[in-house]
Amino acid sequence: MRSYIWYFCRKQKKMKDIARQQMSIKVSTMDALNEQIKMEGKASASYLAMASWCDQNGLPGSADFLYKQASEEREHMMKIFTFINDAGGNAISPEITNVNHDFSSLEEVFETALEQEIAVTKSIHKIVSLSRKSEDYAVESFLQWFITEQLEEEKSMRDILDLFQVMGTDGIALKLIDERIK
Amino acid sequence: MKTICRSKFYALYQSDEERCHYLDMGQKTIKLSFCQLLALRHKVQEIAIEDHFDSAFNKHGFETLMLCNKEHLFILNTLETLDLKELVEKSFFKLGIAYPASVLV
Repeated sequence: MRSYIWYFCRKQKKMKDIARQQMSIKVSTMDALNEQIKMEGKASASYLAMASWCDQNGLPGSADFLYKQASEEREHMMKIFTFINDAGGNAISPEITNVNHDFSSLEEVFETALEQEIAVTKSIHKIVSLSRKSEDYAVESFLQWFITEQLEEEKSMRDILDLFQVMGTDGIALKLIDERIK
Repeated sequence: MKTICRSKFYALYQSDEERCHYLDMGQKTIKLSFCQLLALRHKVQEIAIEDHFDSAFNKHGFETLMLCNKEHLFILNTLETLDLKELVEKSFFKLGIAYPASVLV
Protein backbone atom coordinates (compact mmCIF):
# COMPACT_ATOMS: atom_id res chain seq x y z
CA MET A 1 0.00 0.00 0.00
CA ARG A 2 2.80 2.38 0.97
CA SER A 3 4.67 1.69 -2.29
CA TYR A 4 1.45 2.38 -4.25
CA ILE A 5 1.02 5.78 -2.57
CA TRP A 6 4.68 6.62 -3.25
CA TYR A 7 4.26 5.60 -6.92
CA PHE A 8 1.03 7.68 -7.20
CA CYS A 9 2.72 10.77 -5.72
CA ARG A 10 5.62 10.45 -8.13
CA LYS A 11 3.18 10.26 -11.07
CA GLN A 12 1.49 13.56 -10.01
CA LYS A 13 3.40 16.22 -11.99
CA LYS A 14 4.11 19.57 -10.46
CA MET A 15 2.25 22.41 -12.21
CA LYS A 16 4.47 24.21 -14.74
CA ASP A 17 5.47 27.72 -13.69
CA ILE A 18 4.29 29.26 -16.97
CA ALA A 19 3.86 32.71 -15.45
CA ARG A 20 7.46 32.83 -14.21
CA GLN A 21 8.69 31.48 -17.55
CA GLN A 22 6.92 34.36 -19.32
CA MET A 23 7.84 37.18 -16.94
CA SER A 24 11.10 37.98 -15.16
CA ILE A 25 9.75 40.63 -12.80
CA LYS A 26 6.87 40.84 -10.33
CA VAL A 27 3.60 42.52 -11.33
CA SER A 28 3.74 44.84 -8.32
CA THR A 29 7.08 46.31 -9.45
CA MET A 30 5.81 46.35 -13.04
CA ASP A 31 2.89 48.52 -11.88
CA ALA A 32 5.28 50.87 -10.09
CA LEU A 33 7.46 51.10 -13.20
CA ASN A 34 4.39 51.93 -15.31
CA GLU A 35 3.63 54.76 -12.89
CA GLN A 36 7.23 55.91 -13.30
CA ILE A 37 6.74 55.93 -17.08
CA LYS A 38 3.82 58.31 -16.52
CA MET A 39 5.99 60.50 -14.30
CA GLU A 40 8.89 60.67 -16.75
CA GLY A 41 6.44 61.38 -19.58
CA LYS A 42 4.87 64.19 -17.55
CA ALA A 43 8.34 65.55 -16.75
CA SER A 44 9.19 65.60 -20.46
CA ALA A 45 5.97 67.45 -21.26
CA SER A 46 6.64 69.92 -18.41
CA TYR A 47 10.10 70.71 -19.75
CA LEU A 48 8.58 71.32 -23.18
CA ALA A 49 6.14 73.79 -21.63
CA MET A 50 9.00 75.53 -19.79
CA ALA A 51 11.07 75.67 -22.99
CA SER A 52 8.14 77.18 -24.83
CA TRP A 53 7.75 79.85 -22.12
CA CYS A 54 11.46 80.68 -22.34
CA ASP A 55 11.27 80.99 -26.12
CA GLN A 56 8.28 83.31 -25.85
CA ASN A 57 10.10 85.47 -23.25
CA GLY A 58 13.31 85.95 -25.21
CA LEU A 59 15.48 83.48 -23.30
CA PRO A 60 16.97 81.24 -26.03
CA GLY A 61 19.76 79.72 -23.91
CA SER A 62 17.30 78.47 -21.30
CA ALA A 63 14.91 77.30 -24.04
CA ASP A 64 17.65 75.17 -25.68
CA PHE A 65 18.61 73.66 -22.33
CA LEU A 66 14.99 72.81 -21.53
CA TYR A 67 14.31 71.30 -24.97
CA LYS A 68 17.27 68.98 -24.33
CA GLN A 69 15.90 68.16 -20.88
CA ALA A 70 12.55 67.26 -22.46
CA SER A 71 14.30 64.81 -24.83
CA GLU A 72 16.30 63.32 -21.97
CA GLU A 73 13.20 62.69 -19.87
CA ARG A 74 11.59 60.96 -22.84
CA GLU A 75 14.69 58.77 -23.16
CA HIS A 76 14.36 57.85 -19.48
CA MET A 77 10.73 56.97 -20.09
CA MET A 78 11.67 54.78 -23.08
CA LYS A 79 14.38 53.03 -21.06
CA ILE A 80 11.79 51.93 -18.50
CA PHE A 81 9.23 51.13 -21.23
CA THR A 82 11.66 48.82 -23.04
CA PHE A 83 12.78 47.19 -19.80
CA ILE A 84 9.23 46.22 -18.85
CA ASN A 85 8.50 44.69 -22.25
CA ASP A 86 11.87 42.92 -22.40
CA ALA A 87 11.12 41.43 -18.97
CA GLY A 88 7.87 39.98 -20.34
CA GLY A 89 5.64 42.57 -18.74
CA ASN A 90 3.05 44.95 -20.15
CA ALA A 91 4.33 48.53 -20.61
CA ILE A 92 1.53 51.11 -20.78
CA SER A 93 1.77 54.25 -22.93
CA PRO A 94 1.01 57.13 -20.54
CA GLU A 95 -1.70 59.77 -20.74
CA ILE A 96 -0.26 63.22 -20.05
CA THR A 97 -2.62 65.87 -18.68
CA ASN A 98 -2.48 69.16 -16.72
CA VAL A 99 0.84 70.48 -17.97
CA ASN A 100 1.56 73.90 -16.49
CA HIS A 101 2.48 76.59 -19.00
CA ASP A 102 2.35 79.61 -16.66
CA PHE A 103 5.47 80.95 -14.96
CA SER A 104 6.12 84.36 -13.44
CA SER A 105 9.92 84.36 -13.87
CA LEU A 106 12.88 82.36 -15.14
CA GLU A 107 13.80 81.62 -11.54
CA GLU A 108 10.36 80.06 -11.01
CA VAL A 109 10.91 77.89 -14.09
CA PHE A 110 14.06 76.39 -12.60
CA GLU A 111 12.61 76.13 -9.10
CA THR A 112 9.75 74.12 -10.61
CA ALA A 113 12.27 72.02 -12.55
CA LEU A 114 14.24 71.24 -9.36
CA GLU A 115 11.04 70.30 -7.46
CA GLN A 116 10.10 68.05 -10.34
CA GLU A 117 13.47 66.29 -10.31
CA ILE A 118 13.25 65.80 -6.53
CA ALA A 119 9.79 64.25 -6.96
CA VAL A 120 11.16 61.89 -9.62
CA THR A 121 14.09 60.93 -7.34
CA LYS A 122 11.72 60.15 -4.45
CA SER A 123 9.55 58.05 -6.72
CA ILE A 124 12.52 56.01 -7.95
CA HIS A 125 13.71 55.44 -4.38
CA LYS A 126 10.23 54.14 -3.49
CA ILE A 127 10.34 51.66 -6.36
CA VAL A 128 13.79 50.49 -5.25
CA SER A 129 12.38 49.87 -1.73
CA LEU A 130 9.39 48.06 -3.21
CA SER A 131 11.60 45.87 -5.41
CA ARG A 132 13.70 44.93 -2.35
CA LYS A 133 10.59 43.99 -0.34
CA SER A 134 9.30 41.87 -3.22
CA GLU A 135 12.75 40.36 -3.84
CA ASP A 136 12.66 41.70 -7.39
CA TYR A 137 16.42 42.17 -7.70
CA ALA A 138 16.41 42.64 -11.48
CA VAL A 139 14.33 45.80 -11.05
CA GLU A 140 16.53 47.01 -8.20
CA SER A 141 19.62 46.53 -10.36
CA PHE A 142 17.97 48.26 -13.34
CA LEU A 143 17.11 51.31 -11.26
CA GLN A 144 20.68 51.92 -10.05
CA TRP A 145 21.39 53.88 -13.24
CA PHE A 146 18.40 56.13 -12.51
CA ILE A 147 19.58 56.80 -8.95
CA THR A 148 22.92 58.10 -10.29
CA GLU A 149 21.23 59.99 -13.12
CA GLN A 150 18.88 61.77 -10.73
CA LEU A 151 21.82 63.01 -8.64
CA GLU A 152 23.17 64.68 -11.78
CA GLU A 153 19.79 66.13 -12.74
CA GLU A 154 19.24 67.67 -9.30
CA LYS A 155 22.78 69.11 -9.32
CA SER A 156 22.19 70.72 -12.75
CA MET A 157 19.07 72.50 -11.56
CA ARG A 158 20.64 73.48 -8.24
CA ASP A 159 23.67 74.98 -10.04
CA ILE A 160 21.37 77.04 -12.25
CA LEU A 161 19.40 78.34 -9.26
CA ASP A 162 22.71 79.30 -7.61
CA LEU A 163 23.31 81.65 -10.57
CA PHE A 164 20.23 83.66 -9.56
CA GLN A 165 21.61 83.93 -6.00
CA VAL A 166 24.96 85.16 -7.26
CA MET A 167 23.95 87.39 -10.16
CA GLY A 168 20.47 88.60 -9.23
CA THR A 169 17.17 88.32 -11.08
CA ASP A 170 16.71 91.61 -12.92
CA GLY A 171 17.65 93.18 -16.23
CA ILE A 172 21.09 92.33 -17.57
CA ALA A 173 21.61 89.64 -14.89
CA LEU A 174 18.79 87.63 -16.47
CA LYS A 175 20.39 87.88 -19.90
CA LEU A 176 23.80 86.83 -18.54
CA ILE A 177 22.28 83.86 -16.71
CA ASP A 178 20.43 82.80 -19.86
CA GLU A 179 23.70 82.83 -21.81
CA ARG A 180 25.43 80.68 -19.15
CA ILE A 181 22.78 77.95 -18.95
CA LYS A 182 23.98 74.81 -20.74
CA MET B 1 -6.07 21.54 -16.49
CA LYS B 2 -5.18 22.81 -13.06
CA THR B 3 -7.22 25.30 -11.08
CA ILE B 4 -5.28 28.46 -10.20
CA CYS B 5 -8.05 30.31 -8.40
CA ARG B 6 -11.81 30.22 -7.98
CA SER B 7 -14.11 33.04 -6.92
CA LYS B 8 -17.87 33.33 -6.51
CA PHE B 9 -18.61 33.82 -10.22
CA TYR B 10 -15.37 32.98 -12.03
CA ALA B 11 -12.40 30.62 -12.15
CA LEU B 12 -8.92 30.63 -13.68
CA TYR B 13 -7.23 27.47 -14.92
CA GLN B 14 -3.81 26.67 -16.31
CA SER B 15 -3.13 24.21 -19.13
CA ASP B 16 0.46 22.94 -18.97
CA GLU B 17 0.16 21.17 -22.34
CA GLU B 18 -1.01 24.29 -24.21
CA ARG B 19 1.05 26.67 -21.98
CA CYS B 20 -1.89 28.98 -21.56
CA HIS B 21 -4.70 29.88 -19.17
CA TYR B 22 -8.47 29.51 -19.33
CA LEU B 23 -10.82 31.98 -17.68
CA ASP B 24 -14.27 30.63 -16.91
CA MET B 25 -16.59 33.65 -17.06
CA GLY B 26 -19.75 31.67 -16.44
CA GLN B 27 -21.38 32.24 -19.85
CA LYS B 28 -18.21 31.13 -21.62
CA THR B 29 -14.65 30.03 -21.04
CA ILE B 30 -11.96 31.97 -22.83
CA LYS B 31 -8.39 31.02 -23.67
CA LEU B 32 -5.73 33.51 -22.62
CA SER B 33 -2.03 33.67 -23.34
CA PHE B 34 0.05 35.10 -20.52
CA CYS B 35 0.20 38.49 -22.29
CA GLN B 36 -3.58 38.51 -22.57
CA LEU B 37 -3.82 37.64 -18.89
CA LEU B 38 -1.59 40.62 -18.08
CA ALA B 39 -3.77 42.83 -20.30
CA LEU B 40 -6.87 41.57 -18.45
CA ARG B 41 -5.20 42.45 -15.15
CA HIS B 42 -4.49 45.98 -16.36
CA LYS B 43 -8.07 46.50 -17.59
CA VAL B 44 -9.56 45.18 -14.38
CA GLN B 45 -7.25 47.40 -12.30
CA GLU B 46 -8.30 50.45 -14.31
CA ILE B 47 -11.98 49.93 -13.48
CA ALA B 48 -13.01 52.71 -11.09
CA ILE B 49 -15.37 50.76 -8.87
CA GLU B 50 -16.26 53.94 -6.91
CA ASP B 51 -18.03 55.22 -10.03
CA HIS B 52 -20.55 52.42 -9.63
CA PHE B 53 -21.75 54.20 -6.49
CA ASP B 54 -21.95 57.61 -8.11
CA SER B 55 -24.87 58.05 -10.49
CA ALA B 56 -23.08 60.96 -12.20
CA PHE B 57 -20.35 58.64 -13.51
CA ASN B 58 -21.93 55.20 -13.82
CA LYS B 59 -25.70 55.48 -13.55
CA HIS B 60 -26.53 51.79 -14.05
CA GLY B 61 -23.53 50.19 -12.33
CA PHE B 62 -22.37 48.18 -15.34
CA GLU B 63 -18.93 47.64 -16.77
CA THR B 64 -18.09 46.56 -20.32
CA LEU B 65 -14.93 44.51 -20.65
CA MET B 66 -13.29 43.69 -23.97
CA LEU B 67 -10.70 40.95 -23.82
CA CYS B 68 -8.11 39.32 -26.07
CA ASN B 69 -7.75 42.15 -28.58
CA LYS B 70 -11.51 42.72 -28.82
CA GLU B 71 -12.31 39.05 -29.40
CA HIS B 72 -14.63 38.82 -26.38
CA LEU B 73 -17.06 41.29 -24.84
CA PHE B 74 -18.48 40.98 -21.34
CA ILE B 75 -20.93 43.12 -19.44
CA LEU B 76 -20.51 42.95 -15.68
CA ASN B 77 -22.56 44.34 -12.84
CA THR B 78 -20.99 45.78 -9.68
CA LEU B 79 -20.78 42.48 -7.78
CA GLU B 80 -19.32 40.65 -10.78
CA THR B 81 -16.76 43.44 -11.26
CA LEU B 82 -15.67 43.22 -7.63
CA ASP B 83 -15.48 39.44 -7.87
CA LEU B 84 -13.35 39.60 -11.02
CA LYS B 85 -10.98 42.11 -9.39
CA GLU B 86 -10.53 39.76 -6.46
CA LEU B 87 -10.00 36.73 -8.72
CA VAL B 88 -7.32 38.50 -10.76
CA GLU B 89 -5.45 39.73 -7.68
CA LYS B 90 -5.47 36.32 -5.99
CA SER B 91 -4.56 34.52 -9.21
CA PHE B 92 -1.38 36.51 -9.73
CA PHE B 93 -0.41 35.89 -6.14
CA LYS B 94 -0.96 32.16 -6.57
CA LEU B 95 1.03 32.22 -9.82
CA GLY B 96 3.97 33.44 -7.76
CA ILE B 97 4.57 36.75 -9.55
CA ALA B 98 2.86 39.08 -7.12
CA TYR B 99 3.47 39.92 -3.52
CA PRO B 100 0.58 40.34 -1.09
CA ALA B 101 -0.27 43.99 -0.54
CA SER B 102 0.18 43.62 3.23
CA VAL B 103 3.88 42.83 2.75
CA LEU B 104 4.48 45.76 0.42
CA VAL B 105 2.92 48.44 2.63
